[in-house]
Amino acid sequence: MAILGRERKADWEVVYEGVNGLMDLYADDPDSKGMNAILKGFREYVHDLFGAADEGRPIVWHNCGCSPELIKGLEGVQSMPIEVLTVLQDLVGDSRYVMALIDEAEAHGLASEVCSIDKAAVGSVLGGLYPEPTCMLYHNTPCDSQVAAIKTTAALTGKPMRLMDVPYLYGDREVEYLARQMAEGIPFLEEHTGRKFSWDRFRQVCQESNRTAEYLRDWNDLRRHTPCPQVSKIVALCTALLVAFSGDPEGTAIARAFRDEARERIERGESAVEGGEKYRAVWYQDPLWWDLQFYDWMESELKLVIPMDLFGYYAPEALIDTSTPESMLRGLARKSLSVLPMSRQFKGPIDNFVDDYLKMCHEYAADFGIFAGHVACKHALGGIGLFREASREAGVPLLYFEFDMFDPRVTPAETIQAEIANFIEVVVKPQKELSGAARS
Amino acid sequence: MSKDDILATMQAAIEKPRNAYLDQWVAEGRKVMGYYCSYIPEELFSAAGLLPYRLRGAGSDSSAEGDAYMSARVCTFVRHTISLALRGELDFLDGVVLAQNCDHIRRAGDLFRKKVRPSFYGFLSIPRAPKERVFDWYLAELRRLKAELEAHYSRAITSQSLEEAIALHNATRERIARLYELRKRESPPVTGREALTVTVAAHVMPRARFNELMDDLLADLEQAKGNGGYRARVIVTGGVMDEPEYLATVEKQGALSVAELVCFGQRSFGNPIESGPGDPLERIARQRFFQVPCARMVECFDDQVSELMRRMKEYRADGIIFQRMKFCDPWAGDGHNLYWRMKEAGIPFLSLDREYQVAAAGQVKTRVQAFMEQMGK
Ligand code: SF4
Ligand code: SF4
Repeated sequence: MAILGRERKADWEVVYEGVNGLMDLYADDPDSKGMNAILKGFREYVHDLFGAADEGRPIVWHNCGCSPELIKGLEGVQSMPIEVLTVLQDLVGDSRYVMALIDEAEAHGLASEVCSIDKAAVGSVLGGLYPEPTCMLYHNTPCDSQVAAIKTTAALTGKPMRLMDVPYLYGDREVEYLARQMAEGIPFLEEHTGRKFSWDRFRQVCQESNRTAEYLRDWNDLRRHTPCPQVSKIVALCTALLVAFSGDPEGTAIARAFRDEARERIERGESAVEGGEKYRAVWYQDPLWWDLQFYDWMESELKLVIPMDLFGYYAPEALIDTSTPESMLRGLARKSLSVLPMSRQFKGPIDNFVDDYLKMCHEYAADFGIFAGHVACKHALGGIGLFREASREAGVPLLYFEFDMFDPRVTPAETIQAEIANFIEVVVKPQKELSGAARS
Repeated sequence: MSKDDILATMQAAIEKPRNAYLDQWVAEGRKVMGYYCSYIPEELFSAAGLLPYRLRGAGSDSSAEGDAYMSARVCTFVRHTISLALRGELDFLDGVVLAQNCDHIRRAGDLFRKKVRPSFYGFLSIPRAPKERVFDWYLAELRRLKAELEAHYSRAITSQSLEEAIALHNATRERIARLYELRKRESPPVTGREALTVTVAAHVMPRARFNELMDDLLADLEQAKGNGGYRARVIVTGGVMDEPEYLATVEKQGALSVAELVCFGQRSFGNPIESGPGDPLERIARQRFFQVPCARMVECFDDQVSELMRRMKEYRADGIIFQRMKFCDPWAGDGHNLYWRMKEAGIPFLSLDREYQVAAAGQVKTRVQAFMEQMGK
């Protein structure tokens, strides 16, 4: 399917067709407001990206640890997360395309233990699937695999790259440090894009980012409702929304649709699970991207709902103060350090990672937790012992398994399904019955 | 002492977590500070009267304790070191100072803090780009660590004690540089295995004693005939490498390692710290921060490549053996990128993945033999 009237590489055409097909399918469904909004957002995004490439406008690549507001402060510059194609391929396209990209990166010599999304990003670069960047802006979060990927994309393209060094902790000193680097990064962006950075434009971008954040906060609150009003899989999409659309009216529209859908369903007394939810779990670590229907299966077969996961959790810590240039940079730095999912939990000491989980279990009244251990997240798997201990102490049953969030070949869906079903049967159900009996 | 005696002494010092020199240090009532990485300056510990001890997994026959806390997808170097600590085999350490070198060590830090609980726990947030624009952050981190050490040990780290530490560690740097210089000879008087034994020993022994041993060793080596019975000269590069036996396996195939650009090799020491004037801590910080960058650092890949190229020329090497611990992401990126750069430059390049404490056997032999063929050796 042509994009903006031109033929494009098959990987993109498949994705584009997928987005359009799903939009047609769900267009009139009042219960798919959120899904429709994100599909529409991504269709616009594909238009913007190829529009910029066709018009020869500058494109700046960034990684998923880097929220794009700063780049959007430059007039006429298009930002592009290096993970965007893979996310779309799994969301609406065909995961076989992702697997091919992963294989291409491995065949080119990138070690198999690097994260599949990073391998797929490298595969996309190798396959010439992304429009060329004028430069790249990267953050060294959320993990080492990202660092390997950003070094590799820089080596492969030979384009100028700038690192925003994200420090270990989260306090005011760290905020100042990162904000200063952002300020110093502006001339770099201007030099390589040939476009001026406008503080007025940046203010509008930050205000938009705040609007999105406010809707997400409300949406996070609404999902605490019992029964959970809205399907599980939508929470996995929140990070993609933030990485691609922060500072963009499209992002606000998506967040508002998430919120409205949840609110309206509560008003109508609807539950995400047909026939009523029996179990609630916090899904922690990484979502199962390669088959979002997996979440539908949990709802229909196990009566299990995921009210919140790490990717959907919008930590209500800060909005960007847009009163001065300095306050905006500080606000964006704070968002990067301690709000953006993944960057917030995956960097720094293990305590943040564990504390957020326990908080979520409490706030979302989870019967248990699912630690879906994406094999490449060594920061998470390296902390699994401490994580388990903390869960035990808090009395929250924890199911742990390892899988790959973008590559179904590592652990097949059936294996994960069996693990979850078995855990509910053996651990969660008896415990619930026991506490039910104790209450009555 | 002769070369053989000195090397045997150093070999004995690195086989197990403890060694006689360290035991003596502790018996004298002095304290030991563990650390993982060369971005953490040893001079600061020496200036505080502490013995800097670089954490390793040598002598660990099982990673079971580490495995209980970390998935098998964490690198075995880290799992062995943390296992030693959890088993109490590193209880001679009074403290540790860690950093977010990589995600694996970051989590080892959490385990040290929460489970091993040494008397002193320090952590540095080290920037990931060796650029002037973030140097002040690194320096501030060192100043914070200095203050924490002073408070904990009730002992001032003065300019004078820092200058003394610089002199002590520069003396090591100068000796290691001389050792490496000898390896440029047509017939180097030490093998890679021997040289690595020396550089590893430096990391776990009191420096003054190490420097004395080095004086004897260098005096002997300067006169030595050297070994010319190799088929190719190689540079071994990559991440952590503190296992001389691994190099022995490589060298048995006729590939003599003439320089190791690895953690625990000369890269960890670098050039001498400049002498005054100016704040000695700042001079230490500058030398450490702008050392030959490792894979955790970004925006410096060209510098890493030029360093490798320079060494290739200086040591007249025929090829490069890149070794990487399985599951290590920082070196996975660099391994890929180096491979293609070296290919472009026409430099033979062999990439080996390995596990810690697993004797390099069949596969390494075959791969190195094939590499020799590729180099026409
Ligand atoms: S999923 Fe995990 S390993 Fe992959 S990029 Fe994200 S944090 Fe890194
Ligand atoms: S080898 Fe790699 S993963 Fe292991 S400690 Fe070193 S940098 Fe970290």
